[in-house]
Amino acid sequence: MTTLSPSPQAAGTGGAAGPDRPPGPARRLAGLLHRRPRLRLAALLTAPLLWLVLAYLGSLAALFLSAFWTTDSFTSEVVRIWSSRNFEELVGSPVYRTVALRTVGVALAVTGLCALIAFPLAFYTARVAPPRRRPLFVVALLMPLWAGYLVKVYAWRLILSEGGPLDWALRPFGLSGPGYGLTATVLVLTYLWLPYMALPIHTALVQLPDSLLHASADLGARAGRTFVSVVLPMVWPAVAAGSVFTFSLSLGDYITVQIVGGKTQLIGNLVYSNVTLNLPLAAALGTVPVAVIVVYLLAVRRSGALRSL
Amino acid sequence: MNLSRPARIALRTAAGLGFAAIYLPLLLVLLGSLNPDRSASWPPPGLTLDWWAAAWDNEGARAALWTSVKAGLAATAVALVLGTLIAFAVQRHSFFGREAVSFAVVLPIALPGIVTGIALNSAFGTVLEPLGVGLGMFTVVVGHATFCIVVVFNNVVARLRRLPGSYEEAAMDLGAHTFRTFRDVTFPLLRSALLAGGLLAFALSFDEIVVTTFTAGPGVQTLPVWIFNNMTRPQQAPVVSVVAAALVLLSVVPIYAAQRLSSDTTGGARV
Repeated sequence: MTTLSPSPQAAGTGGAAGPDRPPGPARRLAGLLHRRPRLRLAALLTAPLLWLVLAYLGSLAALFLSAFWTTDSFTSEVVRIWSSRNFEELVGSPVYRTVALRTVGVALAVTGLCALIAFPLAFYTARVAPPRRRPLFVVALLMPLWAGYLVKVYAWRLILSEGGPLDWALRPFGLSGPGYGLTATVLVLTYLWLPYMALPIHTALVQLPDSLLHASADLGARAGRTFVSVVLPMVWPAVAAGSVFTFSLSLGDYITVQIVGGKTQLIGNLVYSNVTLNLPLAAALGTVPVAVIVVYLLAVRRSGALRSL
Repeated sequence: MNLSRPARIALRTAAGLGFAAIYLPLLLVLLGSLNPDRSASWPPPGLTLDWWAAAWDNEGARAALWTSVKAGLAATAVALVLGTLIAFAVQRHSFFGREAVSFAVVLPIALPGIVTGIALNSAFGTVLEPLGVGLGMFTVVVGHATFCIVVVFNNVVARLRRLPGSYEEAAMDLGAHTFRTFRDVTFPLLRSALLAGGLLAFALSFDEIVVTTFTAGPGVQTLPVWIFNNMTRPQQAPVVSVVAAALVLLSVVPIYAAQRLSSDTTGGARV
């Protein structure tokens, strides 16, 4: 580190700088910031907080406020009169209730499937695969994340199309693929969010100390018992952490449903179809996934998983 | 854990099936781009590179790619600055509302994209339109940067946490002021974390479609929006298949970069 050899400019601090070299403006500002931590903090936080609070939280608050407004059904203009009509419609209408329940069901199914598929996969990459090849497997788990959301949905649109690869592969067995619909939606969402579940489980399994497993074996536990009593409890927070992604990403999705869902509607689709004509109703509908996610986050926080995020 | 032989075989089979399920769809996209049949019939009647040539000449796809790159670079730049500032504030200071700040950073990515999208859309409509700023590139960058901040923030916070304060103290003891310390000591130690965060932010922005749909307006089309709009058009099907295949092939680049960065990071940790 040759740069640390004292250059004339950096030779003395503060008063030792000598009377012939008055400190430059940068140095004076630096000194001021150094003496006043509050000022330093303000300098650090002003720009990002203006952005996040004004641009983002402000517009979010405005959106949820507008959920209490209504729309002139004739002109689609927003009428700024306080009313809870949107929420009454939301709770009262059987259509919205069915869609909300279906959305939560899809999100739970996707989360369950992701955990079920990711666990053996991560177990292999973390503890069974030859140690030298493990980094390669981690890359292999992560690679689909970079391939792009829409590209992957497009791939499944091709696979599930009528007479497409899946139908073609199943035909010798006298079967056919599920086609576009609810099943396809669950399948594709599972495919999309699998890496978010596999990676935390892999990390947790890698960090599992061997000594615990040896101790369990020494105490007479077979592999199955060790798995249930030692491995599973220690990996559980990772599953919960992964589920935050799989659950909330599924809950808000509407693009996948549009592409492979056939006539299926989830909350996201209802929000989308109401944006231009009835923004207040769309905003009210948008509160549903947000509320569900908040409840889910609170539930997961109790497992301590958020600390490992 | 001492696994029995059957258990090992079962796990190996399950992992093999899992990886096959992950990669087969991507391989099919590559194969699909070589399918000479315009409607992508299966199995492909032959293989051809004609569509790749056709896609190269497609104005719409090229313009969309360029738009995506510009939006991604701008959003990444904003996210790098803001994310680093917040990371320093949260990691080096304790203040009232620190938890709330970290929470506000994560929020744009935790909430469904459509909620962020329509919130920004209606805010831009009421605030910016009277000022003469319509939806366009600027609003796309604002939207993207908002949810990109978190990845930069996470990377820089993680690095700052592991960075011993003694390096900076040493620099200051040797007479370097705050800015000089940052330039000569802190920044070089943060560089790989900033690169990793920037890479992630760019990838996030490049792949985004929902917030883009609501912030782009009619004139601006990013690559994902272009794919989405053309996916169901039979006329454009071959070009879409080539663009999708190209994106699968291009995903190797960030993976390679991330690998290089992570080996760089472990090297840096040993300093």
